[in-house]
Amino acid sequence: MVSIELSDVQGFLVNEFQGMQYSRYVMLQVTDTAAAKNFIKSIAGNITNANSETAHTGLNIAFTSYGLAALGMKKSNTDTFIREFREGMVTPHRQRLLGDFDSSDPGGWQWGGPQNETVHLMLMVFGSDINTAENYHRQLSEQFSKGLKEVYHIDGQLLPGNKEHFGFRDGISQPFIKGSGQSGKESDNLNAGEFLMGYKSEYNVYPDTPFLAEAQGDTSLLRDDIAGSRCKDLGRNGSYMVLRQLQQDVKGYWTFINDKTKNADGTINEQESKRLSAKMMGRWPSGAPIVKWPDADPMDLHPNEDPAKYIDDNDFFYNDTDRHGMKCPFGAHTRRLNPRDSFEENTHKESILLANRHRIIRRARHYGEPVVGSPTGPAPDGEVGMLFACFNADISRQFEFIQYTWANYPKFKQLVNDPDPFIGVKETPVEGTQQVFTIPSHSVNKYVTGMQRFVHVKGGAYFFFPSLTTIKYLATL
Amino acid sequence: MATQGALTLVTPVIPGRHDELDKKLMKIRAAHAAGEFKEFEKIDTLHYARFVLLEGKLSNAQTNLVFSSDYDGGEDEHLAMFAATCGELVDDLYSCCEGYPAVAVRSAASRKSYLKKWSSKEAAFYVGAPGRTLKQIKQECTLRNFIWEYLRTGTWHGKTAKEVHGIVRQHVQKHPEFGWAKEKIKIPVLKWWNFVLVILIAIPLLPVAIPVIAIWLLVLHFFHDKKDKVLGLTPSQLDQTFLENLEEYEDFQNQNQFTQIISMKPGWFRRVTIQAVLLYGKFRIYNEFVHGELMGIPTIHFARWVMLDNKKEVLFFSNFDGSWQQYLGDFIDKSGWGLTAIFSNTENFPASRYLFWGGAYDEEHFLAWSRYYQIPSHVWYCAYPHLSIKNVTTNSIIRSELMRDLNEEQAQTFLNRF
Repeated sequence: MVSIELSDVQGFLVNEFQGMQYSRYVMLQVTDTAAAKNFIKSIAGNITNANSETAHTGLNIAFTSYGLAALGMKKSNTDTFIREFREGMVTPHRQRLLGDFDSSDPGGWQWGGPQNETVHLMLMVFGSDINTAENYHRQLSEQFSKGLKEVYHIDGQLLPGNKEHFGFRDGISQPFIKGSGQSGKESDNLNAGEFLMGYKSEYNVYPDTPFLAEAQGDTSLLRDDIAGSRCKDLGRNGSYMVLRQLQQDVKGYWTFINDKTKNADGTINEQESKRLSAKMMGRWPSGAPIVKWPDADPMDLHPNEDPAKYIDDNDFFYNDTDRHGMKCPFGAHTRRLNPRDSFEENTHKESILLANRHRIIRRARHYGEPVVGSPTGPAPDGEVGMLFACFNADISRQFEFIQYTWANYPKFKQLVNDPDPFIGVKETPVEGTQQVFTIPSHSVNKYVTGMQRFVHVKGGAYFFFPSLTTIKYLATL
Repeated sequence: MATQGALTLVTPVIPGRHDELDKKLMKIRAAHAAGEFKEFEKIDTLHYARFVLLEGKLSNAQTNLVFSSDYDGGEDEHLAMFAATCGELVDDLYSCCEGYPAVAVRSAASRKSYLKKWSSKEAAFYVGAPGRTLKQIKQECTLRNFIWEYLRTGTWHGKTAKEVHGIVRQHVQKHPEFGWAKEKIKIPVLKWWNFVLVILIAIPLLPVAIPVIAIWLLVLHFFHDKKDKVLGLTPSQLDQTFLENLEEYEDFQNQNQFTQIISMKPGWFRRVTIQAVLLYGKFRIYNEFVHGELMGIPTIHFARWVMLDNKKEVLFFSNFDGSWQQYLGDFIDKSGWGLTAIFSNTENFPASRYLFWGGAYDEEHFLAWSRYYQIPSHVWYCAYPHLSIKNVTTNSIIRSELMRDLNEEQAQTFLNRF
């Protein structure tokens, strides 16, 4: 097995930074190229890499295509980056693929949209507590203020129990990079090239990597492209990061679910409410997979037991135990976005192979009041949501494919009118079409109609997440 | 059983009229997008249609207007219908093409015989739901939605699946508009006997065939594969404007179209090879791929391969569910060998080995190659953009299961199809 040059990989790609609960993502614009490059040079040695010892603070950095140009990278060189990154998240075609319309329209975004100030690069500042993160940000801003101006920043944190705002435990199922020293169950260990450039992908080829078409900067820092193009490689040990600010309407969500499951007298049926939301998610709020616990959250069934054995349970498939979706509906969020062996026309092995060509490493942080929702719980004050980040080497085949084909496309598997109940529902569907969530049942399926959208995109961009070597190089442009 | 046909018309445009025709087509595209172009809807046997301008790709070195359609019934009937129903449209577009009848002599008959002149027979044609006419597809969709609504709003507590199935059938039978559902339909099956037949015929030929094929593949590999040029581009190296132009017309609904024209590699050897492969493909399409999957790909409604210009060019058309990335990815994941066997005979395909290996499995280069040879469709029409091929197939099964007596397990499967 190829081993990964971990100390050249930025840390957030490999680690969740559980020890650094707080984060501040700082979007910057270059105002003085020389000063900006000086700043990058000055922090290049402080970037948290995948081998770094656990610390109280962490720092990672990511660049948009505009940022690379603003630092002086020649067009012939920026042109070697994948097109999705070059064009950014906001093009008419991409808007259709990602389904960013109405309340998610880039025109209304807080950052990254066409109306917003262009983001060139982003500092991802982490801290073990909120003050540490803030102080680190302040200290950095003194250093970058000569060459960079802040256009936006947003704080995030991990919520208690690793929950997201609707109330579900998040980030349980992740792929692992072969050769990184971390591993999960066999079908979750993927070739590094799915997430890192410079290594072979699940297709056993090297992913498209950016390189120097024209010499500039200190090229002695860079190595030759491993695929044999004889050009200096910018991509090796780097990745592409998708960042989306997803506002969550917690009150709207639970009101909708409560309404669909209310008792005959109109009161909230908490048990049924939880059950429906678990059917839509594919896991109970605790994290327990419904394919193993179809009737109730084991957390409620056995409140005195140690929950460790089921809240992070990722050891399951669908085809052997739930071929007809009677336990976990085909349309459930987790069954759609990580189908495992759920493609009924293929064997278990083939199905996993197919699913594994569309995996992402997710890194979520949550913003706004740290309230975790439930059927009867309080709704948070003000805007809350998820700062969804994911890593992939091929944005089109991984993130965009998942968002379009598995989440937005209402005909996933044999479904007819079922978009992903969390992130795929359209606010303005084609006239005459219903949006439904189908729950396969005995003898007649149950249907939740009038599906609504409770997750609204409020910002986003595609970033290049370079290796430490390339960060150093970028300072020499 | 009704059959579906593929019409391909390749008509030379009068030199100098290209821009005018281009404008006309783009106007139709805009009108169609706005819901104002209704010509194709008038043909109740037309599943898909598209207009493409082939610029300088053929040896007549001029622009050719390509019309393609997937239809029910015979070609003659279809052409007659097209000429009669869409006369104005035909006049408007084909008056920019060579030899179109003068105004005075234009009639449904003269239009038809003009169009027929330009028809090219396809080398292979895949139908996702063979036998299903447009009328049937629409009827079965209505039936499915009707039953779905009934199931959704009914109270079924305590009833077995078998009981529910019976009640649903009675309910449908009470509605005369579904009288047609009683007619038995034939859902195509795997024609295994043809495989047996072919094997029986092939066995005595094996002593000759095996060495011939082996030598053929060796010659192919050592005298062709190794010398052939490849495109060598990755997706990020393709022309930006060209791709934007293609994407401008993609992902508006749940379906998309794909049009490609690629020159054959020179020489008779490649030509014979591709024809043999397409013949083999045709056999499997007709006998085996009859359940809505082409070589394992469950998203294709129609696809065709047409050899043009004395077999120097390969034209490929398909209509499919989902996005381009999904479609091409599926091709690699599920039938990369099949794709390689066909397209390794065309120019600049990623390096292949012994016909079936390499090629499409070189993911990055293959995706770039696919886009590189794609050409934009000017106008694309789909009669049922709201249905996936899986929906079409399931709806036929629903109809046929509705009218049969089912046991409890079968009835449960039936109900879970909704």
